Amino acid sequence: MAYVITGECVGEMDGSCVDVCPVDCIYEGLEKRYINPNECIDCGACVTVCPVSAIFGPNDPQQPIWVDDNRAFFELPLPTRSEPIGDPGGGSSYGPVGVDTPLVAEQVAGA
Amino acid sequence: MPTADILIIGAGPAGLFAAYYTGVRGLRCILVDSLPHLGGQVAALYPEKFVYDVAGFPAVRGRELIKGLTAQALSADPEILLGEECSTLEERPDGTLRVTTTAGTEVTCGAVLITGGIGRFVPRPLPAVDVYVGEGIHRVVGPAEDYASHDVVIVGGGDSAVDWANMLAETARSVTLVHRRAAFTAHESSVAQLHESSVRIVMESEVADLIGGNEGVTHAEITHVKSGESHIVPVSVVIPALGHIASLGPLTNWGLSIKGRQIEVGTDMSTGRSMVYAAGDITDYPGKVRLMVVGFGEAATAVNNIAARLRPGEAVFPGHSSELMRPVAVGIGV
Repeated sequence: MAYVITGECVGEMDGSCVDVCPVDCIYEGLEKRYINPNECIDCGACVTVCPVSAIFGPNDPQQPIWVDDNRAFFELPLPTRSEPIGDPGGGSSYGPVGVDTPLVAEQVAGA
Repeated sequence: MPTADILIIGAGPAGLFAAYYTGVRGLRCILVDSLPHLGGQVAALYPEKFVYDVAGFPAVRGRELIKGLTAQALSADPEILLGEECSTLEERPDGTLRVTTTAGTEVTCGAVLITGGIGRFVPRPLPAVDVYVGEGIHRVVGPAEDYASHDVVIVGGGDSAVDWANMLAETARSVTLVHRRAAFTAHESSVAQLHESSVRIVMESEVADLIGGNEGVTHAEITHVKSGESHIVPVSVVIPALGHIASLGPLTNWGLSIKGRQIEVGTDMSTGRSMVYAAGDITDYPGKVRLMVVGFGEAATAVNNIAARLRPGEAVFPGHSSELMRPVAVGIGV
């Protein structure tokens, strides 16, 4: 289980969540951030600091599409990439990924 | 060179409760933590949060729970080493274990109990400041009066950054608070106090470079993260206050069976390496539930099994505390 960043984050990019994550498991796409479900420790520190209330707990069934999308960001090759990101062990040290999942890219294109 | 029956690595809830149990078993214990305080993750990250799932406490604030656990742990009279990270573990010919810390302490003990939670905390990286080798970087803040003749730049937007800015606002020659986001994540009341203070607040900006000479840092280049515009401010002390990041660290090299962020243990909390046990959030086994209350149980299981191993002939079961201990009026729950 893990916390999940939903579509509210798209275009926001505030980043307070990154500053408070004790395990640095939040990664930066192009227009949205993503929580690595294997690295998240379910502490919930990110939820309260999000300015757009985009983050939900592991047992919140409202937006399963974003549970899958957060996972896909790490487990499937992103557009323009041949390998998945996997679990690099730290979003800050990994740096901005510069690309979003197809779901997010579609949402951005349609906006 | 400190010696003990048990070295407990990690002074969070599981480690503190384990320390208490070493007292019940009459074992000498050393408790070590990489943080400068007791209470681990609860004290560092959620001291004000209410916890609702500690047996017997319908609701208890993090800091109150730690206060009670600390009082309980101190009944065992542990030797406490704070701000030290355990780096190496070796088995000696006589079967005892030797652990060294980053502070150079060498501990000899009969058993090691790892209650390391999510790992040891290290300061969050801050590139421009981390590479600066001169004087003037204060990772630990001293008494406010020490800053009377200093221009201070504090970097960060959480509770420690804002609290330190408020603390130094009256005494330092000047205080500049640099935060790379548009909003602070600190307590509302602290942020309100900050806005009333003389602190110069620079939002959505980063310290891009530090400039200095033999006397230490003299200027900081501050860059706006969006516009890229820079300006230079005079500074004699930089306080990085970006908080901490946790990772398992050196114990991943101790020959333990590690799966992700966890150490695999048996039902007696043994790790597979002789006389090395683990308890709390750091353990894993089929059916593991990663909650504090489970950690308390594992701590008791680990210490009592260690006691029986260290003293052949002694039972694993410690007896009932109601028959062993006199009531002590401490903290919560009395």
